[in-house]
Amino acid sequence: MTLAEFFSCSLLAFGAPLAMFAMTIANDPVRIIIMIAAAFCWLLSFLLSSLVWYAVVPLRSYLAFGMVFAVIFQEAFRYGMYRLLRKTEAGLKEISENHEIGSNKLEMAYVSGLGFGVMSGAFALVNVLADSVGPGTLGLRNGTEYFFVTSAAMTLCMILLNTFWSVIFFSGCDENNYYKIGWVIFSHFLVSSLSFLNRQELYAVTILLSYIVLIITAVQAYRCAGGTSKSFIESFTVRS
Amino acid sequence: MKMYQLGVLSFFCFIALSQSERLHEQIYSSIEGGAACFRRLNGTHQAGCSSTDKGAVGPVLMIKEINDALWLTQNGTAGPYIAVVSTALFHDIIEEFMNNPTNVAGILVYEDAYQITSAFTHDSKCPNEYSSGPGSTCSSSEPEGFVWNEKGTDLMRRDIPFPMFFLPESRIEEIKKIEECYQRYNLDRNAHSGKPLCSVQLHSFMFAAVDTVVCLRRSASSAILTPTKVCDPLGDQNVYYPLFSRAKENKEAKRPVILVTARIDTASLFDGISPGAASSVVGMVTLLNTAEVLRSMIPMSKTYGTNVIFTLLNGEAFDYIGSQKVAYDISRGAWPPIMPLSPTDIPLHIELGQIGGALLSHRDEESWPLYAFTPNLSNNVDKVSEFVNALSSDLKQYNMSLVMTATDNIPPSSLHSFRRILKNVTESGSLTEILIADHNAQFTNMFYNSALDDYTKIGFDYHNITVGSDGIFLQNDEILAKGIMNATEIQVKISRLATSLARTLYKKITDEEYTGANQASAHLVDEMMYCFLRSQMCRLLLAADYGNSGGTENLPQKPTPLYVGVSAYSLTAPVFAGHMLALFTGMHFPELNRTTCDRIDKSEFSYLYLKGWNNTGVCIQTTMNFSQAISPAFVERDYDYASGFYSTWTESVWQTMWARVFVAASGNGALAAFIAGAVATAIAAFLTFWIQRNAQRIFINAPTGSLVSTDATTGILRTVNC
Repeated sequence: MTLAEFFSCSLLAFGAPLAMFAMTIANDPVRIIIMIAAAFCWLLSFLLSSLVWYAVVPLRSYLAFGMVFAVIFQEAFRYGMYRLLRKTEAGLKEISENHEIGSNKLEMAYVSGLGFGVMSGAFALVNVLADSVGPGTLGLRNGTEYFFVTSAAMTLCMILLNTFWSVIFFSGCDENNYYKIGWVIFSHFLVSSLSFLNRQELYAVTILLSYIVLIITAVQAYRCAGGTSKSFIESFTVRS
Repeated sequence: MKMYQLGVLSFFCFIALSQSERLHEQIYSSIEGGAACFRRLNGTHQAGCSSTDKGAVGPVLMIKEINDALWLTQNGTAGPYIAVVSTALFHDIIEEFMNNPTNVAGILVYEDAYQITSAFTHDSKCPNEYSSGPGSTCSSSEPEGFVWNEKGTDLMRRDIPFPMFFLPESRIEEIKKIEECYQRYNLDRNAHSGKPLCSVQLHSFMFAAVDTVVCLRRSASSAILTPTKVCDPLGDQNVYYPLFSRAKENKEAKRPVILVTARIDTASLFDGISPGAASSVVGMVTLLNTAEVLRSMIPMSKTYGTNVIFTLLNGEAFDYIGSQKVAYDISRGAWPPIMPLSPTDIPLHIELGQIGGALLSHRDEESWPLYAFTPNLSNNVDKVSEFVNALSSDLKQYNMSLVMTATDNIPPSSLHSFRRILKNVTESGSLTEILIADHNAQFTNMFYNSALDDYTKIGFDYHNITVGSDGIFLQNDEILAKGIMNATEIQVKISRLATSLARTLYKKITDEEYTGANQASAHLVDEMMYCFLRSQMCRLLLAADYGNSGGTENLPQKPTPLYVGVSAYSLTAPVFAGHMLALFTGMHFPELNRTTCDRIDKSEFSYLYLKGWNNTGVCIQTTMNFSQAISPAFVERDYDYASGFYSTWTESVWQTMWARVFVAASGNGALAAFIAGAVATAIAAFLTFWIQRNAQRIFINAPTGSLVSTDATTGILRTVNC
């Protein structure tokens, strides 16, 4: 029963990112390198925020304080990733055997975003997954047995959000469009704050609101990448 | 760089771990203070309990009445269950569980002060039945046969197919925790399937299996470099104290010796909880006091024709380990190590058996009915009745009675070992044997060898009277005159029994009636009982501790554990008893310091350096000594373990024992996660596939790359292998 919980939650959290990785990234070594680099950048950002959290002893017990710094550092490293990619873009392209690379400027944004997301998702879920093996589940003191599935769903949401945030953020940086950057930072804070509702066991509210933010962000990222609703519908029509 | 990454990773692992610990604490609550039933093995069988390697898990079912147990074994749908049952109900339901164990994952037994437990004994109906001497008619297998321990469930000698834990009264809050969780999740019994259920995990995995032969073989064979041990023989030390030093006796004409014995040990089904108040402590304390008062009665300057050896036997609960070893060594001429006795040197053996069971029912009167059992032999009736009459008439002045029974069906006691191993002398009548007990046909103790056989079962109230730094105890006359205790209290009764026995022995040794005023002190009995039954942090043990041991704080505030344990580790009970004997009967030399005390020639006496009454250290000259209490089966070469002649008990090795309570998932969460995961993955896969395939048509406004590379440059680079 409980091993099923472990595998189901893993599927929910990492199934979709794995499918995306397999179809768009795995076949290109350069993309893999960028994704790993992005994942490493996320780790560095988390290291720094944890150092801040650790250093400021009196505020250690306040989760909100740690969260604010975590979001700030993540966004800072996203910007750093942007600078790094724009600097190395030409070189990467030269050594790549894939000529199509770089045909869309935001392709690298998507790859690095997925790297960011997967690493943050792994961190958020690994310890929860470790306890999902059982034999127990939450409920003795508080919580319900649905804690694990909601955690996995939230993790999936964060992975996808990070992917789309990177696309919007890079696009915003390219165009000097501060609204886009602003939306990324704002929605990041918003979703992170929503997770505080989990303390009141309002899991449904958190998930629902977070997925609404995810859909808005996804649509926006799609537009940034140059897609329109019309073109999407047209893609289903027969090729001329 | 690599090192740096490694550092970062380990740092995060640390964070992840500490978070996971917090979640872990949310899920599980450990059940503290439980004592697990463990496995013992004999020459042919395994007995006791073991969980699986991962522990037994099952939903909780609180057993409030017998019907609950029947429902569990017959109708339970979400099983196997962990049954949580009080000691009061345990005897009524255990057979049901033993007969239908398929739906039982484990049992958690708890002691509840608000429910009266009428009986709780897991020894056999005929304790040590298969080591009984000739003429025993007690049979646990015959349904209507005569038995000593009628309430005995025999669980200690049966293979129990599920693990069991015991929670003492002091841990009742753990049961409240389980009850609360049970009320929330498990109350609706018919809707158990498909719901999250309050569950308990019991972990007590035992390494040994099958029987002693197999487990000793497994312990001897070891994989390369990793010696494995799966079981140890039971055993510890016997304590013996000759009244007069025997070292300088004439080998050819040794003085005859009266053997006075009692048992030290008791047992229980559960690890670490074996108080043994009525099973063994009262007998042991009576013996210690008899020795003390007899020593004070006899003038040491004279020499007499008879000696007495007071012996405390260990491991008697497990087929008489201690007495088998003593009898075996006497038959080989090897006990005591200095000036060994031969069987014919012992004219009389008196055992203080199980006395104490009748104390509670006689708590309001001065009387205490005692019984003397002796083997049915025609040629020594005179010897026995002479002794019993002397003791009986002395007891009469205290309103206590002693009734003699001549029968070959003798209650469980060391007499059985002597009657089997020293057959020649016991059958010829040259060794007369008497057992003193306070039950006649059946045990008066309903808690024989169990975890509940504690001080309350004999009605012991501690009086906490101060002891001066000279180690002088109040005399009975003073105690009774001042009203500190009244004559119905067990301390007084035990001290009177000890006095009477000492007077009778005095007469045997000196051939004169005792005319002095020395008596055993109820005050001393009070202190001794407190040390064994309530707390080892007591006045006597502080005085009887080794003089060179550190602070006095190291003694735990728990009853002295009286389970014999494994022979590889020496436990405290025989050491305590031996040191008390030395302290009360030995010569004190306070002027000697430790180094000189250690250096004295030890050929005639042994010397112990103890803390003494004023805690400054005192050198004690004593004849008290220890001898090994390990079954002859492990001593004799090529002993056939299946023959059943000697005790073959071994105890399994285990690593950890723990229990915890938590809520087990119904699987709905897993199902939800699986469906959501499958749907999300399918949608993501389709969208990614579609968008990637039609990227050109979809991203019509795609921002183009800032650097447009030419084919020429790529061509150059591509010739370079990098």
